Amino acid sequence: MMSLLRTQWLFFSTILIYALVFLTNPERAGRALFTAATTFSSVLLLIIAVFSLVGLLQIWISRDVIVRLLGREGGIKSLVIAALCGTLLIGPAYIIFPLLMEIQKRGARWAVITIVLTSYAVKLQMIPLEVEFLGWPFALGRALVTIALAVPIGLLVEAVMEKQQKL
Amino acid sequence: MFSVGLIYLIIIIICYTILWPIDRTKVLQSLRLSWQSLFKLLPFLIAIFGLVGLFQEFIPPELIALFLGKSSGLISLVISSFAGAVSIGPPLAAYPLAETLLKAGAWPPAIAAFIFSWISVGVITMPFEAATFGPRFALLRNGITLIAAMLSGLILGLLL
Repeated sequence: MMSLLRTQWLFFSTILIYALVFLTNPERAGRALFTAATTFSSVLLLIIAVFSLVGLLQIWISRDVIVRLLGREGGIKSLVIAALCGTLLIGPAYIIFPLLMEIQKRGARWAVITIVLTSYAVKLQMIPLEVEFLGWPFALGRALVTIALAVPIGLLVEAVMEKQQKL
Repeated sequence: MFSVGLIYLIIIIICYTILWPIDRTKVLQSLRLSWQSLFKLLPFLIAIFGLVGLFQEFIPPELIALFLGKSSGLISLVISSFAGAVSIGPPLAAYPLAETLLKAGAWPPAIAAFIFSWISVGVITMPFEAATFGPRFALLRNGITLIAAMLSGLILGLLL
């Protein structure tokens, strides 16, 4: 029970807030719930589609393959692969921390780790959803800017990390 | 919105159908994994959409415009970046929130910065990041990425 509360605290607090609002102002609470339901149902199909793709990618592109590609001393190629992996991997970023550390130990650059975590802000599979909510210019522009920034950020973090290691 | 979802779903179903004769067990595994990840995230999604409903009903647009509007400029950029950094959640949840904020009059660059730092900067997960990679990397990466989030917002603002 405690662990359920800890993992789903947002769910339970939302229910609690709704309960309180329903007690104080049932009419506005009803309207809020209606807005919530219509927004949710309008993207439900898309959400189901996106998750079907998630399962497909996770099973058919194994993590071993990703480790092998990123672990290689591949110069610019490994940086590009890092950006691609970041945009494709799904799940909270912290889930891949251990995986990334494993790659780093196998000789991947700090830039690769950082680029994966930065380009994580773009999700290729989710682009249709982002377009639905925010429109083409915003979604596409955001994806391009994020990926363009990921590489310099990665190189900057790497430069500072290596400088400190020498000291 | 419904039809886009339908087209996308049909494409995915075709992918599954093509892969079915190649490796049946792997396709079933994919389906199971898809269902599991969706099921795990479902309470969270319901909560987010629930909050979006409350948000639209109770938070006046003037308030959003005041804090996140274009007139507040750089302040709105800083506020939204830090708000994104302390929140945690899947990208999927950031989009409806961002849409609500934009409709209420928020400045697009600020919202782009919010999505960026929502996913790539994690104040709450920093202890774990520090334990895995060392505190130096964790602080450095999150700090630089937070600044990059604001930068990305500004660049996007120029592009749009």
